Amino acid sequence: MRDNLARPLTEQDVVVARELPDILEPKKRRSGLVGFAFRHPAIAVGGGVLLIMFLIALLAPLLGTVDPSAIAPSKRTRAPSADFWFGSDMLGRDIYSRVMYGARVSLTVGFGVAFFASLIGLVIGLVSGMVRWSDGIIMRVIDGMMSIPPILLAIALMALTRGSMGNVILAITIAEAPRVARLVRGVVLSLREQPYVDAAIAAGTRMPKLIFRHILPNMLAPIIVQATYICASAMITESILSFIGAGIPPSTPSWGNIMAEGRSLWQVKPFIIFFPAIFLSLTVLAVNLLGDGLRDALDPRMAKRI
Amino acid sequence: MFGFIFRRILTTIPVMGFVALFVFSLLYIAPGDPAAVIAGDQATPEDVAKIRAGLGLDRPFLVRFAEWFFRVMQGDLGTSIFTGLPVSQMIAQRIEPTLSLMVVTLFIAIFVAIPMGVVAAWKCDTWIDRVVMSFAVLGFSVPVFVIGYLLAYAFALQLDWLPVQGYRPIKNGVWPWFENLILPAVTLGFVYIALIARITRASMLEVLQQDYIRTARAKGVSQKSILFLHALKNAAIPIVTVIGIGVALLIGGAVVTESVFAIPGLGRLTVDAILRRDYPIIQGVVLMFSFVYVLINLLVDVLYTLLDPRIRY
Amino acid sequence: MDRRTFLISAGTAALVASTGGLSAPALSQGANAKVLRFVPQANLANFDPIWGTQYVVRNAAALVWDTLYGVDENLVPQRQMVESEEVSADGLTWTFKLRPGLKFHDGEPVLAKDVVQSLKRWAARDPMGIMIVAQQQELTAVDDRTWKWVLKKPFPKMILALAKNNAPCSFIMPERIAQTDPFKQITEYIGSGPMKFNKGEWVPGAKAVFEKFDAYVPRAEKASWLAGGKNMLVNRIEWVIMPDPATAAAALQNGEVDWWENPISDLVPVLRRNSNINVDISDPLGNIGAFRMNHLFAPFDNPKIRRAVLMAMNQEDYMRAIVGDDNKLWKPLPGFFTPDTPLYTEAGGDILKRKNIAEARKMIQEAGYKGEPVVCLIAQDQPNTKAMGDVTVDLLKKIGLNVDFVATDWGTVGARRAQKTPPGQGGWNMFHTWHAGADCLNPSSYTAIRANGDKAWFGWPTSKPVEDAIVEWFDAKDLPAEKTAMAKLNTAALEDVVYAPTGFFLGYQAWRKNVTGVTKGPLPFFWNVGKA
Repeated sequence: MRDNLARPLTEQDVVVARELPDILEPKKRRSGLVGFAFRHPAIAVGGGVLLIMFLIALLAPLLGTVDPSAIAPSKRTRAPSADFWFGSDMLGRDIYSRVMYGARVSLTVGFGVAFFASLIGLVIGLVSGMVRWSDGIIMRVIDGMMSIPPILLAIALMALTRGSMGNVILAITIAEAPRVARLVRGVVLSLREQPYVDAAIAAGTRMPKLIFRHILPNMLAPIIVQATYICASAMITESILSFIGAGIPPSTPSWGNIMAEGRSLWQVKPFIIFFPAIFLSLTVLAVNLLGDGLRDALDPRMAKRI
Repeated sequence: MFGFIFRRILTTIPVMGFVALFVFSLLYIAPGDPAAVIAGDQATPEDVAKIRAGLGLDRPFLVRFAEWFFRVMQGDLGTSIFTGLPVSQMIAQRIEPTLSLMVVTLFIAIFVAIPMGVVAAWKCDTWIDRVVMSFAVLGFSVPVFVIGYLLAYAFALQLDWLPVQGYRPIKNGVWPWFENLILPAVTLGFVYIALIARITRASMLEVLQQDYIRTARAKGVSQKSILFLHALKNAAIPIVTVIGIGVALLIGGAVVTESVFAIPGLGRLTVDAILRRDYPIIQGVVLMFSFVYVLINLLVDVLYTLLDPRIRY
Repeated sequence: MDRRTFLISAGTAALVASTGGLSAPALSQGANAKVLRFVPQANLANFDPIWGTQYVVRNAAALVWDTLYGVDENLVPQRQMVESEEVSADGLTWTFKLRPGLKFHDGEPVLAKDVVQSLKRWAARDPMGIMIVAQQQELTAVDDRTWKWVLKKPFPKMILALAKNNAPCSFIMPERIAQTDPFKQITEYIGSGPMKFNKGEWVPGAKAVFEKFDAYVPRAEKASWLAGGKNMLVNRIEWVIMPDPATAAAALQNGEVDWWENPISDLVPVLRRNSNINVDISDPLGNIGAFRMNHLFAPFDNPKIRRAVLMAMNQEDYMRAIVGDDNKLWKPLPGFFTPDTPLYTEAGGDILKRKNIAEARKMIQEAGYKGEPVVCLIAQDQPNTKAMGDVTVDLLKKIGLNVDFVATDWGTVGARRAQKTPPGQGGWNMFHTWHAGADCLNPSSYTAIRANGDKAWFGWPTSKPVEDAIVEWFDAKDLPAEKTAMAKLNTAALEDVVYAPTGFFLGYQAWRKNVTGVTKGPLPFFWNVGKA
């Protein structure tokens, strides 16, 4: 039973309390997936849209697409038509195909960054939190890394090697990992003070078991939630990198670089930006929704609120 | 308190030192030769080599780093490879636009987002809540430059209410200065508004659960008073944290916004410098950013003590 | 009234007072009438036209520094700062005399010694200048207005060297400034040109300001490119650098800027539709797109494979990628020289008309291609090279070559293309670039056409027929002889594939209707440009 204290208290509340039976009758729950969807609409909608995008990425060759990097300069910048469902870009490539295949790249970048940043951040945060003497040094280094604006870091890294999907993932990961490390360290520090951890140490539990059995499980929720936000942010950052010219080269279409390439023409050929923007926004929205839903579902305190 | 501030500043120095070394090393290994760009297409390899020597780029890493580091300690950030102007002068020229943009963005974001978050928390679970939050989330689902182009097209080109681009210094009049900054600030602010609104709502919800709110309500305190006087003040800490973190995000967005609206700010200066390999500028700007970031962190921490008397350092 | 009301009203009053009333929108004329706001093709990152030879630097320098001679719109050298010249019968002694009354921006008169020192600095960096110095006896000032250049061998193209518009031009600086090492930047920007450079207002990357120099004495003749009288009709020129073409287009439509050097062709229809904007070709000499193959390493060390690429490529694809749908903006180019100029030739250019992919594939197989990867450097931050790069990658894949697409930025390309190491170890096989048509009229400033191996431009082609033809052109005594040499040169250069021309393309410029006097030319000419 949810207690919405943001509204004025009324008689009703007091009445309900008095009429509680001894054994609480369980509230009727819809079963199965539908029930789950009703209870957690955010996860359902977010996850659903994301699933659709995944399917698009997976099945791109079967969705009526052509080679996304096939150029046809004589048919450039055509408006959407039967030939080019979403129009053609500045080199005559089919935007529909590029958007469908672009799902692969954007999703890979998003989830790749989320995964690696979380992993690296987790390791660093754990070390920093558990190994006390390293905490000071690591945090100073993390502070230093966080003070360099991530976009600039990414451009510099791109200039260091070349533009490619791997480098974009690497660059954004390096930019996002420190934040995860900070989060993890914060959680570890607070968990370390918990009585059950003390008890475990007193009982002689060794470090690895301590970490895996006691500390990690309690950290999973905030990390997963943070990971979804990182995923969303990474997809947008990729488009910004493409805007500056430091992103994935256009032979591999991504929603970000399709938009970046077409940006000068938004006044005359808005469809070049429009379609990838819609897909990117929907996906980012879905991921954010998923993150919100997960956060609410996984955190018992927060679940009480919504 | 002052002891705390002093200790903080002391620990800042190794951080900045690390940043300096990191950036310098990165640039050292980065391919690309400013001398080649300067020498132009017709130059012979000997010409390029002579230009490199003239710029001092052919000396070993440690020598260059040490020399640069010592000069920075004396407050001299060096001279730009391309323009020959002092880096500190170039940064000073570009600080005002970026600072103005950030301040106006922060202003707009805070004044829009916090009320949004408060209303959403108050009307939690109703359609108002969902609408407000969806609006907020839209902010960071669309890339900054798309928002920028849309706004410029609608309000500047079509409606002609505002200028399309440019920056006018505040000394030429406050209104022209503000006029040029409205669209860029709103563009940049979208992301910020989304973040702040969300955290405000979450934080407010947490606070509204507390016993003292229940007591105040039982006492008959007005809704407005509860929301703003009691709840918001206590919810402020996470909000302030996010605002602090957001500044770093703003810098990234500022690069794009400055390009779209042709604002001669630091973001563009840095991107240009990176692409051209104008090392002294890159080093100078990054150092400055770190300094600002650390300063902001310090400010946020100090603000904590003001907001929550329980926090003491 | 209570404190709150008082504070609020005081605050508002202060705000209104500080704005000086609500300012008029940016479009108002009046005070702005004599300020010309120009959007240049690129950022003015440095301002030493001898040290940094980028086009944008030369364009700005033309306002601030004057030249001894200047080419007119027919590419004929005319006197500018020089009043008269005289060459001895044996062609070895050139004596020049300055016009009277020329002054520098700091008030000092222009003297022969300034000219001599400026020429020394210029000749250290300019290809033709280097050639002159190689055969020079002495360069000295004779008196305040006369100087002479004594050579060991005649150099008939002396005036052309001093008049040409290719960077670096023979800009004349005060002696003390010209004494700066040619491999280091100058720090003062004093010249004798029609505009002064306002260093105090220079924000590199954002804005550059030029102000009219009242003591400038223009020539009496009509202005024509770099020749004739440079009369300035505006008091102040502001260069506003805009990194984003969409923003520049919007600003031009809104009247926030007056003249845009190079609008992208896709935005031109929008500009044309605006009744306040004129659009026309900017430079009739246009540009030549190019990609260069590395002659030192496989697979392009094999001339058959190079020729196969030429045979397969379709210049229309490249040109459309750069200029878009406008057919007025490009021409196929079966050679290396600028169309519609006296020395243009198509000799030997049939190979570029073939566009036969299948035949090219066969030729590559027969030539013994072993699958070596083609390391292709493509700068993503230059729209021209980015567009050409995409077309090339597609082309190479179609003819069966393995492509290694290295997407990077122009700075990296600039550094990496200078490496003679193998492609897998920091070298390269291919990069894209383009040349201004003004630089491709003849072999005189055309470094990219040389095929003298190690000393040649990046790619290091070696071809005796090409070099012989170039020497023949330099020695030619009249136009028919020059033409014969050019035909031989074109054929040999294509046979050996010194580089692959991707086509000839033009660009537009756009300006508001209240700006008068905008002309076509290899650089934007600000003299006789007025604002109503």
